Amino acid sequence: MTAVEPVLDLGWVDEVLLAGPDDEVCLRPGTPVTRAQLRTLVGERQERLAAAGLRQGGTVALRMPPSLAYVANLLAAWRTGAQVALLDHRLTQYEVDRAFETIKPQVVVSGAATGGGALRIFHKVTETVAAHPGQPAATGHALLQLSSGSTGPSKVIGRTAANLVAEVDRYTRIDGVPRPGERIVVLASMVHVLGLVGGLLYGLHARARLVVPERLTVDHVVHAVGEDPEPATVLGVPFHIELLAAVAEAPPLPQFVRMTTGGELVRAEVVQRFTDRYGATLGNMYGMTEVGVIATDLFGKHRPALEPAPGIPVREENGELLVGLAASPYVGLSDPTRFVDGWLHTRDGGRVDPQTGLVTVRGRLDSQVSVGGLKVDLTEVEHTLAGLPGVGAAVVVFDNGIQAYVMLSDPAAGGGLADALATRLAPYKRPRRLHILDQLPRNATGKLIRNSAALRAAAGDTKGEEAH
Amino acid sequence: MPVTFGRDQVVEMLASYGDRAPEAVPETIDSLELAWLIHQVEQRYGVLLDLSDDELVKMSTIDAATEVLRRTVAGT
Repeated sequence: MTAVEPVLDLGWVDEVLLAGPDDEVCLRPGTPVTRAQLRTLVGERQERLAAAGLRQGGTVALRMPPSLAYVANLLAAWRTGAQVALLDHRLTQYEVDRAFETIKPQVVVSGAATGGGALRIFHKVTETVAAHPGQPAATGHALLQLSSGSTGPSKVIGRTAANLVAEVDRYTRIDGVPRPGERIVVLASMVHVLGLVGGLLYGLHARARLVVPERLTVDHVVHAVGEDPEPATVLGVPFHIELLAAVAEAPPLPQFVRMTTGGELVRAEVVQRFTDRYGATLGNMYGMTEVGVIATDLFGKHRPALEPAPGIPVREENGELLVGLAASPYVGLSDPTRFVDGWLHTRDGGRVDPQTGLVTVRGRLDSQVSVGGLKVDLTEVEHTLAGLPGVGAAVVVFDNGIQAYVMLSDPAAGGGLADALATRLAPYKRPRRLHILDQLPRNATGKLIRNSAALRAAAGDTKGEEAH
Repeated sequence: MPVTFGRDQVVEMLASYGDRAPEAVPETIDSLELAWLIHQVEQRYGVLLDLSDDELVKMSTIDAATEVLRRTVAGT
């Protein structure tokens, strides 16, 4: 593996993202924000970060919900030439403490959503900037992201500025993406790769206005699409298609040209309902935190197959999809079988058509699942649960949400499990239900059985203890 | 005529997300289910819910959501 030299570029933010006319509205989270206003917000944040000790080559962690403050801090840190670690704001203190053992930020920006924030896409936050006993960047990555890990601490994924710019450029070369002067209605989280690069960074670069509906309801989304005449692309996850398709009838929205989602495919009847209601094209993308966008089908022409994005080599090996990359995306210790000889093993099952080169994704080969577009490794949930005092053994499966089957070593521990888990796992990773069993089902050789139906049967009429 | 609105209706609307059996609907409501539920209520009862952040945060379980919605939809 070639080590990435810790030289952090800082000119790219102005050149690639912030350039453009002062009075052009680039972001619309309710109140419109012009490029001049965004540059001012970024400048203010840069001063505040500098006052907390952030320098070029330094490190900062952003632990805040998607918000204007998040966008301003992110761009400010990059403009300083610092390395930014993004932490999902729903991670528990326990998860954050463990992440900080690996990423060691010198400055931490935290932001709590004020006023609850249920169904908000952009939150109103009060931010706190604090120095933290960390270290300067050990690599030249501009962005560090955590991935739910199957063993122990989360994997750390690094992207250089050049790599992010290359992804933005890749988007510009894909037919069907929003063009300058058009709009992107962003429902996907800008803290994760799809909303971050496909939404925020691409939109700023391409001068396609980023519109953030006030709330995640059909009315607010429809209003956001309909409030201006420019063509709009809605960027989200499959759940958002289901939600929008659930309307009995939709108002005429001629400017609604496309809805693009990442993640698993929605059922054919939902596609049909969505198309009947809105007449917009449903586009599909395949990507991952390690790479960004890998393949797309923005016209729904190849469904369920996708066309590799420009410059992204994809091949199939033993039923697994492999993506060619110049360097390993992993920072620090990682599973050596994930990146071999310039190929990232995606752990996604799939095939590449030898004639057309089209890629079909067939689901995970490991224990990772998608919860509302966020990746969760069930092994992480299982290990965390099994590590709690009073738990003898645990099996975690995905069956109408995350389900945990637990055998206690201390019968008194059952009542406190949900609370104990809540201190260790972010809400989206927690089991929807904890089933306490006297014995977990095992096969003839004594191995724990992971079949959902068998587990459900073993749980019998035992009412699961409600989690969360 | 007063609108009937109770726990059963909330469970039924939540079950319509992903075609689940009512027994398979967990007591806790996650954010996607909440978005789904709000939309279902608006559509079925012909109301436009303008709930405050506080009310939305409260709706994290079926019982709590039923209480907030009963007040708003049925006015009881």
